[in-house]
Amino acid sequence: MGLLDKLSGLLGLRKKEVHVLCLGLDNSGKTTIINKLKPSNAQSQDIVPTIGFSIEKFKSSSLSFTVFDMSGQGRYRNLWEHYYKEGQAIIFVIDSSDRLRMVVAKEELDTLLNHPDIKHRRIPILFFANKMDLRDAVTSVKVSQLLCLENIKDKPWHICASDAIKGEGLQEGVDWLQDQIQAAKT
Amino acid sequence: MLGRVTAPPPDATQEGGQRIPQWGFRGWLGKLRARNLRVRAYHRPGTIERCAAPGAGPVARTTSAKMAAASSSDSDSGRAESKEANSKWLDAHYDPVANIHTFSACLVLADLHGDGEHKLVVGDLGPSGQQPRLKVLKGPTVLTESPLPALPAAAATFLMEQHEPQAPALALASGPCVYVYKNLRPYFKFSLPPLPPNPLEQDLWHQAKEDRIDPLTLKEMLEGIREKAEVPLSVQSLRFLQLELSEMEAFVNQHKSKTIKRQTVITTMTTLKKNLSDEDAVSCLVLGCENKELLVLDPEAFTILAKMSLPSVPVFLEASGQFDVEFRLAAACRNGNIYILRRDSKHPKYCIELSAQPVGLVRVHKVLVVGSTEDSLHGFTHKVWLQQAPAPHSYLPSAQGPESPSGFLFPATPLSPLSPKPPQTPAVPCQGKKLWTVQMPAAILTMNLLDQRSRGLQAVMAGLANGEVRIYRDKALLNIIRAPDAVTSLCFGRYGREENTLIMTTRGGGLIIKILKRTAVFVEAGGEVGPPPAQATKLNVPRKTRLYVDQTLREREAGTAMHRAFQTDLYLLRLRTARAYVQALESSLSPMSMTAREPLKLHAVVQGLGPIFKLTLHLQNPSTARPALGLLICFLYNEALYALPQAFFKVPLLVPGLNYPLETFVESLSDKGISDIIKVLVLREGQSAPLLSAHINMPVSEGLAAA
Ligand SMILES: Nc1nc2c(ncn2[C@@H]2O[C@H](COP(=O)(O)OP(=O)(O)OP(=O)(O)O)[C@@H](O)[C@H]2O)c(=O)[nH]1
Ligand SMILES: [Mg+2]
Repeated sequence: MGLLDKLSGLLGLRKKEVHVLCLGLDNSGKTTIINKLKPSNAQSQDIVPTIGFSIEKFKSSSLSFTVFDMSGQGRYRNLWEHYYKEGQAIIFVIDSSDRLRMVVAKEELDTLLNHPDIKHRRIPILFFANKMDLRDAVTSVKVSQLLCLENIKDKPWHICASDAIKGEGLQEGVDWLQDQIQAAKT
Repeated sequence: MLGRVTAPPPDATQEGGQRIPQWGFRGWLGKLRARNLRVRAYHRPGTIERCAAPGAGPVARTTSAKMAAASSSDSDSGRAESKEANSKWLDAHYDPVANIHTFSACLVLADLHGDGEHKLVVGDLGPSGQQPRLKVLKGPTVLTESPLPALPAAAATFLMEQHEPQAPALALASGPCVYVYKNLRPYFKFSLPPLPPNPLEQDLWHQAKEDRIDPLTLKEMLEGIREKAEVPLSVQSLRFLQLELSEMEAFVNQHKSKTIKRQTVITTMTTLKKNLSDEDAVSCLVLGCENKELLVLDPEAFTILAKMSLPSVPVFLEASGQFDVEFRLAAACRNGNIYILRRDSKHPKYCIELSAQPVGLVRVHKVLVVGSTEDSLHGFTHKVWLQQAPAPHSYLPSAQGPESPSGFLFPATPLSPLSPKPPQTPAVPCQGKKLWTVQMPAAILTMNLLDQRSRGLQAVMAGLANGEVRIYRDKALLNIIRAPDAVTSLCFGRYGREENTLIMTTRGGGLIIKILKRTAVFVEAGGEVGPPPAQATKLNVPRKTRLYVDQTLREREAGTAMHRAFQTDLYLLRLRTARAYVQALESSLSPMSMTAREPLKLHAVVQGLGPIFKLTLHLQNPSTARPALGLLICFLYNEALYALPQAFFKVPLLVPGLNYPLETFVESLSDKGISDIIKVLVLREGQSAPLLSAHINMPVSEGLAAA
């Protein structure tokens, strides 16, 4: 930790830490998105399917994010709920080109929203309709229709189309999330 | 799709196989245009026939119409839904007009490109079985589509070599060939070896070539051969027989110089591991053919590694084990038997006799589950019996032998005069042990295995004619899915990136894709099938007492004597009954006169409360023509109790068929509330024995108080 960091911490300028859960089916691009949000020198080159989960950190203009990048594989999905309590925000990633598994994504989302640790909290949820660059990808409007996002009434949510490989659409989403978290704090 | 073959494997041009330098379906199409229509009709009777039945049309049958109505009440969106409130399945996709017409054997899920994204391969019969196509689907959409030269019989994927990147090859059996694809590119075509043609037929065509016979005679002669069918006709002759008179001449001219070839067709196909049991081990193709043979092919060179004979045509195959080590093949055949073959035998080891034709065969662990045309599922042990098979020549017909090589297989059908003499003893020992049977509510159209690896569950899925798909673990019903149309093909496995996906296609050509919920657990639905719960509750059976044991011993020792004693008593009882009956007849104690000459019927009615009753006798002469004359009636009664105005009187002439009510008054004399019997005798003048008699139980007089 540099001297400057210490100083800004003492002065109360240190960025606030928030815990974020990154959820979504396997192969939706969660790890790729988190990787792209890290400073370019910290990005890893090849991304492999996550086993269990991994903890990543990145910063936005005013917040310091600690992300739980969960594995989306079926056998690890039951791990998710153990981290719901600690999470202050959720990033839910959807592979918009995987038409067949949209129902599975919806099922997992519904289970998440009905979990006692989530159900009665005003926790912000950011959706990435990822892989928008692919030919079979459906639009983010279609994704929100297929997942019935309009039924989420008691939580702030936002959906962004994204291309995690080029990094498109990611910043817009993170900015929204930062606003939500700061609005909740004040 | 139509690419060219790259580096040929070293020894691909061996027996039976032929390398195709210029690959293209058009070439095959030309060769195979001479398709045998009769063969097609026979091809897998249980499945194709049902799949391509006229019911394929949307409302062609009452059942499908009914089903449509049911499904619409089921869910508003018209999607296929399992009716339970919280279904175990997610509806991923439903396209009622996907135009896929196939059966389970022609559906495969495989990672064809080795990218972890599993594709669906469909050997499509085409609407009404006319335009066979090979389709590959990715998710809900068709990725590639190409025409096939003949109707597909089965599709399978297998690994050809151990050390390549793990993209499996795709094999599609169609007509007499297996088309092998790698990376979805045509790679190799295996053709069944030709069979010797019928010499008579050959001779006929030879004569036609030299213009010694005209097409009409040729037709007649060929028809004669076909009737006898000792050696079936070639495709060329069969096609000729279908032609109109006008087309014959041209056909003969075109074909007369060709040598006739006879080739059988593939009816079923499966895969068998070569020498390792690993998931990703090299596998051989196992083919079942119309000429009652099973062939095992080498995975790399496509040479025939083994050839086995069956007493009938195989239609479904199940394989387990490894070819080089030990394996078992179960072949369900058109004669309603399942034959089990092992590595060391060229002929079936033993057989399982079904009471009806098989419509599907699935192996679940060690149990063979068979669906039959009797709308039921049966479970059989898949245990191999270490018993010597009988000498093979005792039951093996020549490869082209008639359908019934041995009489015991078809006990009901008379053997044609051409059949070899049936052996006296069963050829293949019948030893499969039936474990259970479950009855289905409708005909079974198709079956397949549900293998849920994550939970180690293996179950059988059966698509029924009423639109249901039922899932059974042994005989316990786990789940029912109600599809909007009858499901004709089923397949469960990894599709796309989802492990537990169920693919169904319907009679109308629809495609339904369902995904098993991650949290879904199949539990046996209590009550609906299986033994009733009462059967499981333990009865409070008393302990075996000394007396019980003694009695059992005595019964065991003196069983014969006891049986005899019982029989004697039974005969005595019968004798006594007969005697009593005869006595009753002799003394005319019945209200019906039994003598043939004097049929009479009597019944009596007592009216009134007393002390005076009215007694009415209804006499009837049931004879058809003869009036009854000279009859007398006499009452016998206790004179201390009753008084009658006339105890004896004459009966008027009884006209046949009419009812004569004869009334008299009876006065009860007793004031103690006693009642008695009054006997009525019908007599013939001059005879002392009555014709018939009746006992009248007089009621107690209630008029006492009033009197
Ligand atoms: N074309 C395209 N590919 C993407 C995009 N985002 C991710 N991918 C690819 O999708 C694959 C899976 O990405 P991951 O980031 O590993 O997915 P994940 O959600 O972390 O998967 P798990 O860790 O298994 O849960 C990788 O091959 C990525 O290159 C995108 O926006 N467009
Ligand atoms: Mg990951």
